[in-house]
Amino acid sequence: MAVAAAIQRRSAASRLVEAYGQELVVLGAIIALFVIVGTVNPRFLSENNLINIFSGNAYIAVAAIGMSLVIISGNIDVSVGSLIGVLATIAGTLAVQGYPIWVAWTVPVLVGMAINACVGALIAYFRIPSIVVTLGMLSILKGGLISITAGTWITGMPPEFFIAQARFFGIPAPVYFMVVLTVVMALWMRYAGLGRAIYAVGGNAEAARASGLYPERICVAAFAMHGFFAGIAALLFATQLQVIQSTVPPNLELTVITASVIGGVSILGGTGTVIGSTLAAILFACISSALVFLNVSAYWLRAVLGLLILATVLADMARRRRHRVAGRV
Amino acid sequence: MIRTSLIAAVALSVVTGSAWAQTWTGGDDLPTNPLACDGTAAEAAAKPYDGGVPTNAPDRKGKEITVVDIPKLIGIGYFNATSKGIADAAKELGNVKVKTDGPTKANIDEQITFIDNYITSGVDGILFAANDPVAIAPVLKKALSKGINVVGYDANSTPDARQWFVNQAEFNGIAKSLVDNMAKEIGEDGAFAIVTSTFTTPNQARWIAEMAAYAEKCHPNMKWLETVEAQEDNVLSFNQATTLINKHGDELKGLFGMTSVATPASAEAVTQAGKCGEIAVVGLATPNAMKPYVEKDCVKSVVLWNPVDLGYAAMHVLRAVADGELKPGATSVKAGKLGELQVINGSEILLGAPFTFTKENIGGFDF
Repeated sequence: MAVAAAIQRRSAASRLVEAYGQELVVLGAIIALFVIVGTVNPRFLSENNLINIFSGNAYIAVAAIGMSLVIISGNIDVSVGSLIGVLATIAGTLAVQGYPIWVAWTVPVLVGMAINACVGALIAYFRIPSIVVTLGMLSILKGGLISITAGTWITGMPPEFFIAQARFFGIPAPVYFMVVLTVVMALWMRYAGLGRAIYAVGGNAEAARASGLYPERICVAAFAMHGFFAGIAALLFATQLQVIQSTVPPNLELTVITASVIGGVSILGGTGTVIGSTLAAILFACISSALVFLNVSAYWLRAVLGLLILATVLADMARRRRHRVAGRV
Repeated sequence: MIRTSLIAAVALSVVTGSAWAQTWTGGDDLPTNPLACDGTAAEAAAKPYDGGVPTNAPDRKGKEITVVDIPKLIGIGYFNATSKGIADAAKELGNVKVKTDGPTKANIDEQITFIDNYITSGVDGILFAANDPVAIAPVLKKALSKGINVVGYDANSTPDARQWFVNQAEFNGIAKSLVDNMAKEIGEDGAFAIVTSTFTTPNQARWIAEMAAYAEKCHPNMKWLETVEAQEDNVLSFNQATTLINKHGDELKGLFGMTSVATPASAEAVTQAGKCGEIAVVGLATPNAMKPYVEKDCVKSVVLWNPVDLGYAAMHVLRAVADGELKPGATSVKAGKLGELQVINGSEILLGAPFTFTKENIGGFDF
């Protein structure tokens, strides 16, 4: 009896590893960094630094939720960095011009959903590959932003605009956004019909169609939701500091995509969770803080991220091969 | 197996990197030329005049001249300030008719068209801030060939395409101003760190190298903790500055921001850490981005140049050239209320020591 129970326990644990393997790896890496760097310099684990690590990349984590949806649905979006820049500029401009704060907060989210719904429609109904459409969007948004703002920065927003600077119980608002949105979306992806449909379409669009789903509509829906998260990310980005730059952080889209991929979302679509991408965004913040604590050039961050991507993709391939072999047997 | 190697890879690269990059300060390896501690001007290295010469320029001495100012673009605070300086100087001189005109975005093709049109319409002098040093040269040479006096400011062209260029600041001047302000705020034995853009940004690396040389010469007891890179990224700059504050705790007394992105972000990091007054922020930045922090007393010194003075000096230089008072080989030129300005690098005029924006004067600037 005891043996049987042990076997059952082990299989529960192995099922957990099977379902959340990559998430556990990222979590392990975060804990490992905490232990190593915390031993070298205990200030790494000080309250302020932990808060900085968890809130610093919250906007990337939120954007990566949307990115994960899009990648799971079998597409990709390389324009999200520019979109965040545009939406942040819209939010800041509305706030400076004296519109009510709730307008400055909601309009960018709605605009993000509208823009990305159009992108999704182009991909789904005109059958243009998503990388082509979003590469086009990248140039349109980036160029348009620089032309319209003439490179000037937005300053002088009213104090109540700065939602990302608010703190509840000593924890900055972006952390709440990150945690709540991640948990809600993780549950939604697992249990809601549309959530499961996104996996189905990303795994095999034709099989999904045969089973009565509409891949086109689901693609548009995934992109519209991605726009929603880009809007929230833009708000967190715009309200973290007192100025809004008209130049988007360089390589933001790559950072967001990297977070999804390292978090275990297969670049081929159909698998992954938003918990992984959020953990990966936290891992990035953790690594970049650790580099300063260990006196390492920030350029190593790029190198480390590159290593992580390669290792993750290798792991993904290995997993798929194992599944194929298992399937044949 | 692959998962274990993943964690190992992170740990390994972090550790090897740390063993490797201990002492980097962020400066370049070029020779430095720190200024004297007390502010005496540097010896001007003798270099022959390398500017252009207008062909058959008429005698304009004392006569009223028509001048057009064509900045990189119009309608932004920075160039509004330079054109105010130009207009102020013209009014003071009394014998100059000047107007500012130019593209509404920083576009070299449009700028060339504007200059070409003004050459055709017939002006005596052109002031410019080039969108591209090489692309603008042919049209400026055309102006010189028509006998027009050409003087640049803010952004240079190739030297032979204009007569003189008013240089707003030299690297060693900026470095001295930054380090002196920091020493004043945190004391001669304070410890500081730097937030810069990247290793490879030439201006920042040059400034940092000059700062290191000047600090060693004039403030030898200040402690240089480290330099971190944050690219031209707002949020990353903020995170890096916050991490520095967390890492060094009470030892850290000052932060230098080396870019107009890093400085406000560092100020914000100090503000959000509740360390205003305990950690000084000194840096290069434009006044608008720094106003909130300067007005709250969180930042005391923002170093840059005064664009109003820059335009004012450029106008005076152009008048002096037209009058034949500023000739090739001169070592200085009179520029109204700014006094004698020094000639450097053959055909450039140095505006002088950089300008420090403080709580008292920052409200008067809008760029």
